This record gives sequence, structure tokens and C-alpha cells, in this order.
Amino acid sequence: MMTMSQRRFHLPLLVVAALLLAGCYESPDVTRFEPGVYKGESDPLLAKSGNTAHQENLAERFDGQRDR
Amino acid sequence: MARMKFLCDADRCIECNGCVTACKNTNEVPWGVNRRRVVTLNDGLPGEKSISVACMHCTDAPCAAVCPVDCFYTTDDGIVLHDKDLCIGCGYCFYACPFGAPQFPKAEAFGVRGKMDKCTFCAGGPGEDGTVGEFEKYGANRIADGKLPACAEMCATKALLAGDGDMVADIYRERVLRRGGRPQTWGWSQAYGQG
Repeated sequence: MMTMSQRRFHLPLLVVAALLLAGCYESPDVTRFEPGVYKGESDPLLAKSGNTAHQENLAERFDGQRDR
Repeated sequence: MARMKFLCDADRCIECNGCVTACKNTNEVPWGVNRRRVVTLNDGLPGEKSISVACMHCTDAPCAAVCPVDCFYTTDDGIVLHDKDLCIGCGYCFYACPFGAPQFPKAEAFGVRGKMDKCTFCAGGPGEDGTVGEFEKYGANRIADGKLPACAEMCATKALLAGDGDMVADIYRERVLRRGGRPQTWGWSQAYGQG
């Protein structure tokens, strides 16, 4: 049988142990690599590059590099 | 579809380093990382040449070929980008790149380098365009806004050209014809001789 003073001593220890164990948690969400396959986040710029208006805008800007 | 390329006209580059400054300022690149730099050959001698070098966004990028975690991808425009969340900082890309483009922010014990950083052609990286997160990781996304890379736009002598490869080649061809000589691209005489 634990006495009252022993319980008071054990309770903070349990809290500390629980916090320490929580810090050891590791996410099981891992990226499994396959050779030659990009598995990163997608880039919205890829969709934009097919936009004709965007391409024309860029082309106009590039053309400004010509000598005056 | 455009294929984005850089070209530095060695006859026009005056080694002002404006491109380097523009890049660092626009992308808030950390100390120790130079996405772009100016290399001078035969410095101080008659006929010295300077060229501005960064990632050349290779069509068949060797960095992407050697990456063990395949963190590289190429946009439809031919811009080579990478995902820093996948990068493990192994440094293989640095050894594979003939231009020394991949840069690492740290040099610590046991070869800890940090995530690789390189020129993005001012096209940011993966994830939502124009966000603070994208800027902090990859720098500015000027291409999404319909703008040129900052280095090329800042070039005072228009030595550094950026854009669709066909258009860049056309501008350079016009210049060469006006000069009335052969292309003075760096390495031309070494490769093809003076004749």
C-alpha cells in the first residue's frame, strides 16, 4: 500500500514520464522513394505555363531585352 | 512552348556584379549562398572576359540524374526546380553540376550541409505561388507574375539575357551580325579554333 506522501511523489514523475514519451513520437507518414519518380509537392506554376495569356505576357517581357 | 535559358554575352559583361546583387536582394539569399556569381577569366590582362554564371536549367540536368531522393522536377518551360522538403543535403548534385550551381547554407561537422539552394529562374518552387512559405524556402516567383528573372532585368549592359531559348538566340545572333564577326561566346575559340 502506497502512503499519501508516496503518491504525491509518484504523480509528478508519471506526468514527466508521459511528456518524455510523447516527445519520442515519430510520424509514420514517410515518403517511399521510387527511382526517377518525383514525389514532392506539386507546383501550380506547371498548370500556369500552359496558359496562352501568361506565355504571351512573358514573351512580351522577354522581347524587351532587344537593343533599342 | 518556350524553353527558358540564360545566356551571358561575354563581350558586354563589365563585371559590375549587378546580377549577383539583384539575385541576392530579390530572393533574400542567406550569407554564404550565391545563386549567381560573375567569373572573370584572365583578370587584369588585356582581353579579359567576364561571364555571369548560375544554374543553366539544363535540358538533361545531371543534378536531377544523380539525386538519390529525386527531389528535382522540370517545368514545361524547362526550368529545373527542386523540393527542399525532399532534399537530404547529400551534395551529389553539387558534384554533378558542371557550373557549381547547387549551394548549401551550412558547413558543419560530419558533412552537414543543410538543404540545397540554387537559382530557380525566379520561378519559386513547389507549393502555393506567391506565398510567404514559398518565398522563405525558394525566393521570389517572378515568372508566375509574368516577369523576367531579376538578374537579367537588372543587367545594365543587357549582357545577361534570359527567356525563351529561341528568342535569346535570336537577340544574340542579331548582335553578332551587327558586330560583323564570329560569335564570341566564351570557349568558342578553344572548341572550334580561331579560323
